[in-house]
Amino acid sequence: MSRSLKKGPYVNPKLLKKIEEMNRTGERKVIKTWSRASTIFPQFVGHTIAIHDGRRHVPIYITENMVGHKLGEFAPTRYFRGHIKSEKGSRARRR
Amino acid sequence: MTNEPKRPRRGTTRRRRQTYTYYNRPVFIPEGYLIVGRIVGVHGLKGEVKVELHTDFPERFAPGAVMYLGEELIPVTLTSVRPHKGRLLVGLEGVEGRPAAEELRGEWLYIPEEEAKELEEGVYWIHDLLGLTVQTEEGRPLGVIKDVLVTGANDVYVVEVQEGVNQGRDLLIPAIADVVQEVDLERGIMTVRLLPGMEEEARPPKKPRKRKPGRKPAPPRADRSEGAGDGQG
Repeated sequence: MSRSLKKGPYVNPKLLKKIEEMNRTGERKVIKTWSRASTIFPQFVGHTIAIHDGRRHVPIYITENMVGHKLGEFAPTRYFRGHIKSEKGSRARRR
Repeated sequence: MTNEPKRPRRGTTRRRRQTYTYYNRPVFIPEGYLIVGRIVGVHGLKGEVKVELHTDFPERFAPGAVMYLGEELIPVTLTSVRPHKGRLLVGLEGVEGRPAAEELRGEWLYIPEEEAKELEEGVYWIHDLLGLTVQTEEGRPLGVIKDVLVTGANDVYVVEVQEGVNQGRDLLIPAIADVVQEVDLERGIMTVRLLPGMEEEARPPKKPRKRKPGRKPAPPRADRSEGAGDGQG
């Protein structure tokens, strides 16, 4: 059963408070969170949030197209083991 | 290809090889070659094989394309390609019927490095990034990249830290422009700007727990160890 629309999307209030505080002051720092179930709000965009994957905090940069998803979707709890010399690239910088 | 002996005896190729592991199993990749796929099974009776992709450019798999099969780098031409359940069903020239295809199970498909696609600016091959030394803009060395985590958003570089960095724990660096300032593959150095909160802070020492009032104080350690010894002996 889906969550009641009356309540609105779930977000950890402490996390939202920290983000809003940073938006007010213009500060940029990585926030650690264990709240994988929190919905990404528009206020989060542009922040880097370290999301717990069960073992460590994975730093994820929040972009506009991630709004509405849950934080946990971006910190997988199982990882691919074994990068071989294959034709696969990683984008290290975004211009 | 079906009538030829499929595989010369091991150790007959003279190329230099580097060792990589894939799910803890060694994978031999001849120097000057890249992996683009792996044959994981067969499909049907006509000799089609299931290929798991190991490339960001699946369009490379097209009828007429030539790839190199197995450690012996046997050239094979693709005759048909179609998608199937997240993998590709590929027909190979000279592989007729299911028994011939069964023999190829587990083999890797390679291409020469010079045939690899051009990368956009700011994109690097993962195998080139592994082993880079990471340092801050001020020149403080942090460690060496040992893994790349592919998340649903930005990639994350796992840095095996030097002594005295990040409380000895692996440092996770997001692959974003704010953080990754420069990648110099020739010198083998990645320069990063750490954001506040990215490094682990030293934890204050734990306070001793308060005992609940009214409980007996625990006996000294020497007495307790004697008691435990009696019970077991």
